[in-house]
Amino acid sequence: MNAAIIFGLLLALMLTGMPISISLGLTVLTFLFAMTTVPVEAVALKLFTGIEHFEIMAIPFFILAGNFLTHGGVARRMIDFATAMVGHWHGGLGLAGVMACALFAAVSGSSPATVVAIGSILLPAMIKQGFPRQFGAGVIATSGALGILIPPSIVMVMYSVSTNTSVGELFMAGVVPGLMLATMLGITTWYRAWRGGYPRMPRADLATRLRTFVDSVWGLLLIVVVIGGIYSGMFTPTEAAAMSAVYAFVVSVFIYRDMPLKQVGQVLLSSANMSAMLLYIITNAVLFSFLLTSENIPHAISEWIIDKELGVVAFLLVVNLLLLAAGNFMEPSSIVLIMAPILFPVAVKLGIDPIHFGVLIVVNMEVGMCHPPVGLNLYVASGITKMGITELTVAVMPWLLTMLVFLGLVTYIPEISLWFPAAIGAR
Amino acid sequence: MLRVLDHLEEWLIGFLMASATVVIFIAVVHRYAAGVSFLYPFVRHIHMAWAQELCIYMFVWMAKFGAAYGVRTGIHVGVDVLINRLNDRWRDKFIVFGLLAGALFTGVIGTLGASFVWDISQTDTVSADMEVPMWLVYLAIPAGSYLMCFRFLQVAWHFVRTGELPHHDHGHVAGLESQAGPDLDEIEADGAGAQEGKR
Repeated sequence: MNAAIIFGLLLALMLTGMPISISLGLTVLTFLFAMTTVPVEAVALKLFTGIEHFEIMAIPFFILAGNFLTHGGVARRMIDFATAMVGHWHGGLGLAGVMACALFAAVSGSSPATVVAIGSILLPAMIKQGFPRQFGAGVIATSGALGILIPPSIVMVMYSVSTNTSVGELFMAGVVPGLMLATMLGITTWYRAWRGGYPRMPRADLATRLRTFVDSVWGLLLIVVVIGGIYSGMFTPTEAAAMSAVYAFVVSVFIYRDMPLKQVGQVLLSSANMSAMLLYIITNAVLFSFLLTSENIPHAISEWIIDKELGVVAFLLVVNLLLLAAGNFMEPSSIVLIMAPILFPVAVKLGIDPIHFGVLIVVNMEVGMCHPPVGLNLYVASGITKMGITELTVAVMPWLLTMLVFLGLVTYIPEISLWFPAAIGAR
Repeated sequence: MLRVLDHLEEWLIGFLMASATVVIFIAVVHRYAAGVSFLYPFVRHIHMAWAQELCIYMFVWMAKFGAAYGVRTGIHVGVDVLINRLNDRWRDKFIVFGLLAGALFTGVIGTLGASFVWDISQTDTVSADMEVPMWLVYLAIPAGSYLMCFRFLQVAWHFVRTGELPHHDHGHVAGLESQAGPDLDEIEADGAGAQEGKR
């Protein structure tokens, strides 16, 4: 009963269009005030302790690093390198776009940021070369989603915070699925370009390839800093995030010199703005899950689901449908923070690996970012290409279907996520 | 007066962001410098145990004031799928309702936080590593929430008067505009022209 009141209240408040963080917080306040004897003062304290974890601090650092990389010329050099490597195949710049997105995803933790970084440079170039606008927008909007699957990933940090899973393990688990999805998107791109007879680039000679590689090596080295640093135990994920922010700053301002020093303040401010928004959702989501736990709701839900004797296969199907549906209304961080504490206990009881479950959620979030009405990647791509959302929805279809196939694979073959962390002995 | 507040807010969160990064960077460098034998005598007297704590407190302050700044820049998104389908009059009403709800929530939290900070300031509680008084640390809650409340009211007032809402554009990249250059339509036209020229 209480569960129905809480979720009903939350849904009603959300649908009025107020910020998600506020509707979470108001739900908690109203419920505590009206229905329980829990002192409301506890809420104020929770608002502070909610983000008092060093792990969460990885989020602002990764956002800062990503902003430096976007503005600092790293994306452009990665695109040049990718173009030199794969540009001569069918799909040309489109295929290079997939590869550049995958490379950039390995230094950035956010999907929309990847779309912005790669898309704003590559899309104009593709259209200039004679690619149909839909093709370019479709490739970039969907490949950009790799940003949250290939480590580092802000959504993974969110998941690990709300379920007490190891961020490091999750990051390692994202590597193979990330490369696999990149390959699948690449194949789709290749096939569509081959059928459409789209332009290809002249084959780059070895000297060009080497030059573009050396040019982009400062950006590529960041992959080593983040993934290598975490894996070898040199840094905790948060420290790795801070190191990559400093590194990205040095590369953009002093090595590539694409960013003037006076722009740094602007980057700091916009990163702080974005981070504060996410941290505010986290605090309120922590408040919300505190309420759920004190009302014993996750436990009740998991009992109920287990009573239904769904079995793992059906449960995962339900989870996928639920998350895909949620992806229609909310952006990934909120979904993970609200859903993970509820679904996670059930998954554990059914014997599903926490890391596998995390990767599954992240892939669901990727799909959600690429379709309307709230797919942030689409909005970013539409901002760059000036295409309408409806038109873009049609444009991303082939890649979106590829992602759904991939989602099926990741859901039912846990080894895709679990093989790599086990192989390198991370777990 | 208001402009001074705006600048102070921007300056504060930018500064906290930068210094938290630098603090963690130095702490990591210090840890590895202590492992290098010839550097050890120089760094062994410096203790960096407080770095994590400082970083967390800085980010909490940054988060509270940044959230207030975020109201001003319109970055706090909600589920607007439903209200966007309503006609303008109802939609406007819901928007004002949402903003006032935000003001209510932050106002309540600010008040709760203030009484909490008052209680704790009567005790001698200090933080674990830096030993700063905890009430000073927790001051972020009432200060940030009241500021956020004020920002919600400010945005609501502005919306009622002019019908404009701050809107955060995720696709906007400062500095890339110049590289993206001319409008895509023109590029497309150019591209088509170039192809025809080849034929």
